[in-house]
Amino acid sequence: MHDHDELDDTTRAALRAYRTPPEPPLDEMWRAIEARAFGAHAAPRRQFWRAAPTWLAAAAALAIGVGIGRYAVPAPPEPATPVAPRVAEAPDRLGATATVLSDARLDVPYEVATSRYLGATAALLIALPAEARTGQVDAQFASQARDLLQTTRLLLDSPAGDDPDLRALLSDLELVLAQVAGLRSARDRQELDLITGALEQRDVLPRLQSVVAQIPFAGD
Amino acid sequence: MERTAIALEPAGALDEPVRIERVLAGDPRAARELYDAHAPRVYRLIFRLAGDADLAQELTQETFVRAFSRLRDFRGDSALSTWLHRIAVSVALNGMRKVKRFREREAPLEHAESIGARPSGIDPDLRERLARAIDALPESLRVTLVMHDVEGYTHGEISAALEVPEGTCKTRLSAARAKIRQALAPFRKE
Repeated sequence: MHDHDELDDTTRAALRAYRTPPEPPLDEMWRAIEARAFGAHAAPRRQFWRAAPTWLAAAAALAIGVGIGRYAVPAPPEPATPVAPRVAEAPDRLGATATVLSDARLDVPYEVATSRYLGATAALLIALPAEARTGQVDAQFASQARDLLQTTRLLLDSPAGDDPDLRALLSDLELVLAQVAGLRSARDRQELDLITGALEQRDVLPRLQSVVAQIPFAGD
Repeated sequence: MERTAIALEPAGALDEPVRIERVLAGDPRAARELYDAHAPRVYRLIFRLAGDADLAQELTQETFVRAFSRLRDFRGDSALSTWLHRIAVSVALNGMRKVKRFREREAPLEHAESIGARPSGIDPDLRERLARAIDALPESLRVTLVMHDVEGYTHGEISAALEVPEGTCKTRLSAARAKIRQALAPFRKE
């Protein structure tokens, strides 16, 4: 390095002040890392579900059930149907399942909220690629995502966020929903690719499916 | 949290290869020790590159998740920190590219930057001009400058992390500094 490459003292000091980092949230980061990197090995997921409350297992099963239902049940030929009402039907479907959840003594408000939230979120995310292909993703779809994003953040701060596995899942859903909420048009292929890429990169839907596969009553 | 155990067996008490073996054998405490030894520096670098606390947190987590999942592939040819930083830089640059479009619609850099601590004693105008000049650098020059002149990495460390020859690092640093000097020239004349 030649002398003329050197910077003066003032510039060097200013360089060192470029984007001065805050204290790293080491414990918070570790909890997320531990859940993702060692959850499947150090603490077998089966143990997690054995310990998990029934409402959580039911919620996860519901999440996939709603999503699969959207594909398994042929949709009526309504090409002009707006997106939002179809997304909004998830809570209605959940109404039927709510009876089952009540039977499981699911009477704590945030547990009900989590169940409904997971169902609606799964429906929205599973529907996204199909909506994108038909070019029907619109502002209402993004609005639905914004509502779910708010719920995600509330749940992260609720007792539901105390469980490391659920917290990791909620954190990933927060990231994806934030992207969907910012969606402007289904014709913005690059943006949609980023979102579907995030879904794939974070294995969001496979993780939900994996969770359901480990629920004892899922196959009953 | 196993703070007591960590205090009884402080970081550095065991050789890193031993700790790695323990992690591979399924010892979560060893994993935490490795993390504690390297996470602060990894986070600092990623924050300097990303300029956003939430993003830096996410990318740091991703770095360690990948590192632990691939730890069995670490052959010890280089220091673990070198290997980790290679992952960190790759994760950070890829992650930043992916969120760039969203970031452009959200808070401008100045707002994101304000999350970090603001050191005193530096002319705010110089600081702002310098930040803009760094942000305007091509990625390869910016990463090299940030690693060397901001975070104090050696050319050897940068070379290993970026997987380029040391000579390339030096050339990039020289080019980055020239651009910074050029960008600050009008400011110096004022």
